[in-house]
Amino acid sequence: MTTENYDAKLGEIWELRLYTAGQTPKSLTALANLQRICDEHLRGKYRIEVIDLMANPRLAKDHQIVAIPTLVRKLPEPLRRVIGDLSDTERALVGLELRRAT
Amino acid sequence: MKTEDLLRESENLLTAVANGEVDAFVIGRDDNRRVLLLANAYQRYRQLVERMQQGAVTLSGDSRVLYANQRFADMVGMPLSQLYTIALDSLVSVADRARIGTFLLISARDSRMELDLRRRDGTAIPVVLSHAAVSDGYTTLLVSDQRPLQWPALAGDALDSIRIALEHLNRSPGLDPQAREALESISEQINALARMSEEMVDVQRPPPHVSASGG
Repeated sequence: MTTENYDAKLGEIWELRLYTAGQTPKSLTALANLQRICDEHLRGKYRIEVIDLMANPRLAKDHQIVAIPTLVRKLPEPLRRVIGDLSDTERALVGLELRRAT
Repeated sequence: MKTEDLLRESENLLTAVANGEVDAFVIGRDDNRRVLLLANAYQRYRQLVERMQQGAVTLSGDSRVLYANQRFADMVGMPLSQLYTIALDSLVSVADRARIGTFLLISARDSRMELDLRRRDGTAIPVVLSHAAVSDGYTTLLVSDQRPLQWPALAGDALDSIRIALEHLNRSPGLDPQAREALESISEQINALARMSEEMVDVQRPPPHVSASGG
């Protein structure tokens, strides 16, 4: 991503969807980590939607979810997926394109 | 999706799995998807179930025990290892067997049934069974022991022992006046606790004007 694109994306409202499996430890950890990352990097410019696939597994079809937890960046486009509990902040930031891979 | 993106996501998935960052997978296709939890995802619930004061038992379609917690094993007086695959029928009286069969057929969440569990030593304990969950042909029941609480009486016995020990100490010759004062203060508090314990035991007894038949 170019510097211009990167800055432009930070000006948009980010729509994030976290796919969880009820209240498993990894799902809860992912939600806590996501909240922290958003507070630090997207202050006030994000929306988080949590989809519990235990309650409705069919919703996994929407974003081709295979492992849980998975975070999907719906907006800004293009769609991005980050798999895992987001405890590796560096990997999560790179996956969300909030930081360029080094 | 571009090949580059596919490769990045595949690497992402492998890294997450290798790092132990996921605890569930989605299997199946289209509308037949299911979520499979890894064992560690269950751990917290398992600890909760193992430590709770109610019995919990999961039955197969033919009413055999597939899983039971330690509390349930204690209720029926059997080691857990001998409980698996045993028929629930064998743990209740002959008279209750038809009732429990009907109860399991109802499979309604929150439905309840009172019966006596037969312990291995031949004694029986009154319990209430309630449906906790029914899924994939398995039924999970919660089992509540209906015997009066024993702990107030046990606490009363323990407090009596402490009181006797304190009185003995208080009679010791040459006891420092400050120590004697402290002992008397402790004795007063023990007496107050003993009175509370007796009141709790009384609360559990039926009022004298209620007949045994409950009429």
